[in-house]
Amino acid sequence: MRNPQSAIENPKSRAMLLAALYIAQEQYGWLNPEAIRRVADRLNLTEGQVRSTASFYTLFKLEPQGRYRIQVCEGLSCYLVGGAEPMMDFISKKLKIKPGETTPDGKFTLEVVECLAACDLAPALKVNDELYGQMTAEKIDALLEELRNV
Amino acid sequence: MTKQVTLTIDGQQVAVSEGTLIVNAAKQIGIDIPVFCYHPKMEPVGMCRQCLVEVGRPVVDRATGQVVMEDGKPKIQFGAKLETACTTPVSDGMVVLTASEKAKANQREILEFLLTSHPLDCPVCDKGGECPLQNLTLAHGAPASRFIYDEKQHADKRVPLGDLIWLDRERCIQCARCIRFQDEIAGESVLAFYQRGRATDIITNSEPGFDSIFSGNTTDICPVGALTTADFRFGARPWEMKAAASICSQCPVGCNVTLNTRREAKSGGKVVLKRVMPRQNEAVNEIWICDKGRFAHHFTENEHRLATPLARKDGKLALVSWDKALGLVAGKLADAKGEAVVLASGRLSNEDLFNLKQLADGLGGEALLYTQMGGGELTTAYGVPAGTNFAEMGIGTTILVVASDLYNEAPIWYLRLKQAAERGATLILANARETKLEKYSQFVVRYSYGDEAETICGLAKKAHVGEAITSAENLVVLYGSDGLGLDGSSALAAACAELVKSRAGKPNNGLIGVWPRANDQGAWELGFKPVADLKAVFQKANVVYIAGADPFGDNPELTSRIPHHASRIPQHASRSTHPAPFIIVQELFLTETAKLADVILPAQAVTEREGSFTSGERRAQRFYPAVPARGQSRADFVITAQIAAEFGLELEGRFAARVMDKMAATVKTFAGISYRELAETTEQWPIVGRGDLYYGGTTYENKQGLGVILALSPSPTGRGARGEGKPLRPDEDHWLAVPVTRLYDLGITVATSALLKARTGGAHILLHPDSAQKLGLAAGEQVELNGNRLEVRLDPTVPVMVALVPRSMGVPIAGPMVAKIKAA
Repeated sequence: MRNPQSAIENPKSRAMLLAALYIAQEQYGWLNPEAIRRVADRLNLTEGQVRSTASFYTLFKLEPQGRYRIQVCEGLSCYLVGGAEPMMDFISKKLKIKPGETTPDGKFTLEVVECLAACDLAPALKVNDELYGQMTAEKIDALLEELRNV
Repeated sequence: MTKQVTLTIDGQQVAVSEGTLIVNAAKQIGIDIPVFCYHPKMEPVGMCRQCLVEVGRPVVDRATGQVVMEDGKPKIQFGAKLETACTTPVSDGMVVLTASEKAKANQREILEFLLTSHPLDCPVCDKGGECPLQNLTLAHGAPASRFIYDEKQHADKRVPLGDLIWLDRERCIQCARCIRFQDEIAGESVLAFYQRGRATDIITNSEPGFDSIFSGNTTDICPVGALTTADFRFGARPWEMKAAASICSQCPVGCNVTLNTRREAKSGGKVVLKRVMPRQNEAVNEIWICDKGRFAHHFTENEHRLATPLARKDGKLALVSWDKALGLVAGKLADAKGEAVVLASGRLSNEDLFNLKQLADGLGGEALLYTQMGGGELTTAYGVPAGTNFAEMGIGTTILVVASDLYNEAPIWYLRLKQAAERGATLILANARETKLEKYSQFVVRYSYGDEAETICGLAKKAHVGEAITSAENLVVLYGSDGLGLDGSSALAAACAELVKSRAGKPNNGLIGVWPRANDQGAWELGFKPVADLKAVFQKANVVYIAGADPFGDNPELTSRIPHHASRIPQHASRSTHPAPFIIVQELFLTETAKLADVILPAQAVTEREGSFTSGERRAQRFYPAVPARGQSRADFVITAQIAAEFGLELEGRFAARVMDKMAATVKTFAGISYRELAETTEQWPIVGRGDLYYGGTTYENKQGLGVILALSPSPTGRGARGEGKPLRPDEDHWLAVPVTRLYDLGITVATSALLKARTGGAHILLHPDSAQKLGLAAGEQVELNGNRLEVRLDPTVPVMVALVPRSMGVPIAGPMVAKIKAA
């Protein structure tokens, strides 16, 4: 009844927000002020409304992220095969960062995630959108080396 | 008429219109379902869960579509879970239980939850005593909490959201009423949630913070003490204060307000004004007021208020007794007779203006209105009649706004027109520059400054816009003086009047003047004529009696007529052989005009006395005294009556009510109106006030009168000034400087309220960035405009080669003028 024009009440515009943020994050690596502004402009929302929604979701990043986001699974299967903790410790030591941090060169961000839905490949991790399964110390070493040199 | 739905709430049957929410249906029969996030003026969100109730609905046989009966009654099926009363609309045969064991357990537990990390600082909290959380906890909460005290979370307690509003993060219960008010009602989305869960914060995303002129309202609807105003914060406890009904004197909207006062030690045992609160009048301001109305009240207690009569002795102003001052003034007026001029402004009440007019008439002199906006003789004849309410306007209504920046000139009209447009009314904005309300308009008509009247004359014939005007079921035209002086606005009013003439007398149709002062409309109703040539007044009159106006402050050049300031006068300026007039000034402060006076009579502020104002919608509304009068000051109508009595003219000088009676007997548009009628109220929705704080907010209930819209004058009261000649145009070397109105100016009410200073700034002009570039100027640099040094501010909405000069900001500007501007 009230406010038919406003974006607040306009389900189309509001409903597009998460999808738009997803695309923006993919393009920019994180939701920097420019990304927020562009999403807001495009959907006829205020920047505040966009930032507010983005802040609600942990997968939307309002801080700069490394070029490669390494997401280490600590779900049940990965844990049971004895992978989760050693894998995290190993990478942490290698990159000299704690979970949640980014390497100073901006290359890697390390994160813990709950389950990657790849229990058959436990222990598993993800680099950006790529899944890597049955990880061992050697395989991680090789992977990090490869990413470093890209 | 919408379909009626019958349901049962706690055993009581109630019929309400379809679509009503359970919470409101219950309210209508006096059942209070506790709410925090729900507010009757905003869309429901159902996020606090406090209002969960048991809801049962009749069982319908799917095969037959018939209601299943059991023991002769419809079989009711209750849901497995509770439902939010604030988002669930009623349906036929619904049974609602608001106080069942299940519902009560929920109310108790939600409160327990809300209180887990709420600080127990009620004893020092501003909201304490008028706090929905406090009240609902008493009514519905558990006596003890099961949560562990040591695990209480703490958060920042002193977060300035802007310079007017403070946030206490610990107290916030995340109901989002403030965010939703800014989004939905104010249309200024400057607040938002940040993060989630326990970490949720209210943040402002504007620069400067909380950049809204309606911000104070969020403190009224905040159901806890999270939002407080910088003005009242830790100022007093609600129960210590008295409440007096008043009318805001800042603009022609006439918002109903309540003045809270208290006698306190820190003010030397005096009764002082602590805060201004909105008072409900759904036909005027609903339950809102703007920040100017809320915060610009400090003029009352300002130390520089005039407290005693002063008279000039040996060239200097010296204290005199009232008797002496009145005798002196009366003697001069009696001698001057027809050579006396009364010059008053719309700051005065109807009663003051009536007595002044009577005095002028008694002497055979003139009663002039100090104004730079004309057309009041037309608003008295073609104004909106009784039964008009912006809240009822929607589809079928066309509202035309011409030469007015309502956001700055009349903020609550801005809100109400925005809402009318959202309900489907056709909003047409005609102005030489972009204004904020355009965002909500269907049509924008752009003209050059100077073409106002001509544009409106041709409007009805234009495609689309013309149709929207001529074929509208209802048509309201609001005109102002953006870029205009007396002549231009008078001509514009005449053009606007043509559009509504044929609709005269029909509710929700008519002409409204967006006047610069609260009671300009009243002055026109009472027969004041606008002063066209101030210089001539001071050249011809023998005595000038100025009340509530500061012509010399507005235009220092006028001083050339006054001998006390001979040193300032260039020799050639005072060519006239006529002696300078005797000047009487009736004022609150020692204004520039008062400094030149022969006698100064101290007047009472609107907060100290009784009276009435006529709003732009021509609604006469009463205000009541809130604080004791300063020093020996007297109410304007009293002073005028006492002067008149000195020379044998009998005017009412004791009771404002009796002045109104006289007005009702002699002024046509006031016919039959009495103070009693102005004080009448009817029930209003939503219900607000003390027992319903949790529901409508701390807005005061209106028990002191909704006011009355005046009858229309059968014909325009006399002829106003008319514009003549060609409109002024800028050219290569000449700028067109035009006056505009800003919400926060340097007028005495804002200037005495320190809190608003940051929002006012100093004297400035607004230029288009291209214009400024042409002068080689950047924002913030100084220019010279006809000898005045001013700061340049850039605004892309200003036409090129035009300079906007804000009124009451230190630069004299009565109307549009061709000006020389150069870098200083």
